[in-house]
Amino acid sequence: MIQTTRRAVLGALGAAALALTSGPSFAAPAAAARADRWDVPVHVKKLDNGLTVIISPDPSSPTVGISVVYKVGMRLEPRNRTGFAHLFEHLMFQGTPKAPKGVFDKVITSGGGNNNGSTRADFTNYIETAPSSALDAMLWLEADRMTTLDFNAATLKNQQDVVKEEIRVNVQNQPYGGFMWIDIGGLAFDKWENKHDGYGSFVDLENANLDDVRAFHRDFYGPNNAVLSIAGDVTPAQGFALAQKYFGKIPARPTPKPTDFSEGLNTAERRLTQSDKLAQVPAIAAAWKLPERGSRDQAPFAVLGQLLAGGDASRLYQGLVKGRELALNVSSFYGLTSIWEYDGPTLFTLFALYKPTTNADVLLGAIDEEVARIVKDGVDDATLKNLKTALLADWYNDLEMFLRRADRLAKLQALWGDASVVNKVPGWIESVTSADVQRVAATYLTRANRSVIDRKPAAMLAAPAAAKAASQP
Amino acid sequence: MKTRLSPITRAGLALSATLALAGTALAAPELPAELPPFGKDKPLVVPKITQTTLPNGLQVWVVPRNGIPRVDFVLAVRGAGLGADAPDAPGRAKLLAGLLSEGTATRSSRQIAEAAQAMGGGVGAAASNDGIRISANALASRAGDMMQLLADVARRPAFPEGEVQLAKANALQGLKASGAQPGFRAAKALDGAIYGDHAYGRTQETEAAITALTAEGLRAEHARRFRPDHALLVITGRIDAAKATQLAREAFGDWKATGEPLPELAAPPATMPVQRLLLERPGSVQATLRLGRPGMAASGDEQVALRLTSAILGTGFSSRVNINLREEKGYTYGARAGGVSWRVGGAITGGADVRNEVTGAAMTEYLKEYRRIGTEPVPEAEMAMNKRYMAGSYLVSTQLQGSLGQQLAGNWLVGLPADFLGKFVPALQKVTAAEVQAVGKKYFNPDEQSWVVVGDAEKIGEQLKAFGEFKVVKP
Repeated sequence: MIQTTRRAVLGALGAAALALTSGPSFAAPAAAARADRWDVPVHVKKLDNGLTVIISPDPSSPTVGISVVYKVGMRLEPRNRTGFAHLFEHLMFQGTPKAPKGVFDKVITSGGGNNNGSTRADFTNYIETAPSSALDAMLWLEADRMTTLDFNAATLKNQQDVVKEEIRVNVQNQPYGGFMWIDIGGLAFDKWENKHDGYGSFVDLENANLDDVRAFHRDFYGPNNAVLSIAGDVTPAQGFALAQKYFGKIPARPTPKPTDFSEGLNTAERRLTQSDKLAQVPAIAAAWKLPERGSRDQAPFAVLGQLLAGGDASRLYQGLVKGRELALNVSSFYGLTSIWEYDGPTLFTLFALYKPTTNADVLLGAIDEEVARIVKDGVDDATLKNLKTALLADWYNDLEMFLRRADRLAKLQALWGDASVVNKVPGWIESVTSADVQRVAATYLTRANRSVIDRKPAAMLAAPAAAKAASQP
Repeated sequence: MKTRLSPITRAGLALSATLALAGTALAAPELPAELPPFGKDKPLVVPKITQTTLPNGLQVWVVPRNGIPRVDFVLAVRGAGLGADAPDAPGRAKLLAGLLSEGTATRSSRQIAEAAQAMGGGVGAAASNDGIRISANALASRAGDMMQLLADVARRPAFPEGEVQLAKANALQGLKASGAQPGFRAAKALDGAIYGDHAYGRTQETEAAITALTAEGLRAEHARRFRPDHALLVITGRIDAAKATQLAREAFGDWKATGEPLPELAAPPATMPVQRLLLERPGSVQATLRLGRPGMAASGDEQVALRLTSAILGTGFSSRVNINLREEKGYTYGARAGGVSWRVGGAITGGADVRNEVTGAAMTEYLKEYRRIGTEPVPEAEMAMNKRYMAGSYLVSTQLQGSLGQQLAGNWLVGLPADFLGKFVPALQKVTAAEVQAVGKKYFNPDEQSWVVVGDAEKIGEQLKAFGEFKVVKP
């Protein structure tokens, strides 16, 4: 049921506008199940220069959300330039020949809006939301920076400094220092594209130069490597016309040959113990490689993830925080995105702070017990139904805000080659069986496929060592 | 205790719910000739609130919306929050709120979690200075069930012994974990400098307060603080007003108040002596800079002007302090400043995390911007831009039904009327540059700001000397 078509194939489909649904139905439904269904209108069109445009109209608020997603992320940054994809994202806000530094923020602020950008393994997104009276101006700004940038040494230096402060405030000066998403990837993956630190080393960041910036923009930021998505107070006809008007003249640019960064599941457990100078409480990150995007195992894994770690009703919360009382909290994540938003090797990661009275092995043993129970018994019908209900509700919740709706559609188009996946996911979740969940737990949540970092306060690591030394004659 | 996982973004700004604020560029850049002008603004949409008061005093507000298939609830209980905590029990309201959903007379903690999951929603409570808010949501077809679960959690929490002991043990570890974060330590010290002995100034839990907590004490506090005549229930989403009100009546109609209501809090001091604190953090690679002074109560006359002033000076990408310290100087990932207002008082706070070498330089820029906002009128274009920004933020934030409910409940807790939200944008349009300058002069006077700096004394101590004598506080 899950299509495995790659975006290259789907590109051909995009030429015509695909009106896939008629929009939300507000009619009072008779049955409860109907009251809880909601389809997102998705209209797709590809411009001659290769830019894919998605419009999702919703007149309920006089505002719009815009997302421009480029199909480049941390995996594709140059080898000796760790952190470059993210540094480049910052530079996208630093001005162009037509709109010098400061104009971008000034226009969006004046338009009553907000903007942001973020960099992930497989994509980089640029988002803004504002009253619809600012739609034209925002699209002009996005098209302008897709065309070219103000390659400028002063702004490069400024943002190198800003990014270093970002790394200091989020990593170096914080307890745990992002080990649950930076270091765990370094441990679990084999290929450089997947395992390197996407925040980057200070040396690599400082070495970045304007030639790097020009090359990255030329290679990865052309219209043919991007998706533009608009949700909210806009009609399909209006949205497509505006996209053509502002983006239609930007020439397509050749993109580099795709890299093969695929890697299989791991065959032996990987363990690491780290010392943390700032932390006062020990923590653990346990991660397993996920099914490939589009695999028939992906929807069952979504259900499995919910069963294991989705909130207070989950097996691990009830089993580790409650029950065995080993952990202070358990959180889980799929890379830095979601179960539906990756397109390359990605980890399902559990992160927990644990009590100093226990240890990582006890915690992992407890997780193994919970997984083994799922592998053996599966999940009962009532629980399975609840899990699906929760996943469905979460899926809708994430689509409520126009900005996030536009962004999700753009990401699905970029990663799956098909924005209408947004309306297929509910059905995929609905069709998952207990046997699917068992199979997926047995395939992926194995010890061999697991990577673990035990992160301990430096004082805790020093104490047993000192005690051992003292006890020796 | 929560793990924030939003790295690798342009800035850690929440683009979602709240009425966020932002400002403008210093040296206003010329706009490109080709840039299309803004279109005509659509008429302002004001939320239509159906208001009912039940015989027991509970207020019920309903705002039906035809959005996603979900209904959102907020039960706000005024005076039940951190402001009601005794001096020897700081942060109690946080644990009280957290334990509401850990068991009722008829449901275990696990049953509550599983019931909420089955409804495609959740239920949980949080404390603020002026109250406790229990928030819940469910798929539209389960609105009635969630209303019942919400009422059970609000009215009949059992505080089971085992859950209380577990919550205490985890809170003690959580306190240790939080203490490792420089921002947490700075916030506590800054609250003390701004509010003194007032309850608003001691909202972070202590080891002693957590240890002293008992199930019996929690039950007594619940009985004392939770009462229908001090509560507001806001319902937003895919439900009609009559149906929602009826469900509220069924779930809350027989809720009765016991005893005398808690007295209103007295106002905190309007001014405080300036403090300069250096909280030692050996090995810190940044200085965590915070400054602040007492602010304005939410119902203060200059509330709208304060919000606009905060936007211009210190919230968002293009606010003055962010343009200066981040975009021009590269000192920090983000700089902010602005007012926060509660029922009987408020705070003016600002700050940035900067690399050690530029500690003194960053403080100098803060003081410069604070002085300028009170001594020079804000240019007309900058005023207009920020007004448009805040009006737009109003529209974007009320797009979300949950956010609308939270804003209505939040305003009510701090003493703002139901129509404040709808009247905010028109009131904003009337604020003058002179009013902004007056607010700037009164509240952002650089000579009245206390400083809290968390960092490595060896690395930054010398740079602090130019700003007065700093009292060094050991970890």
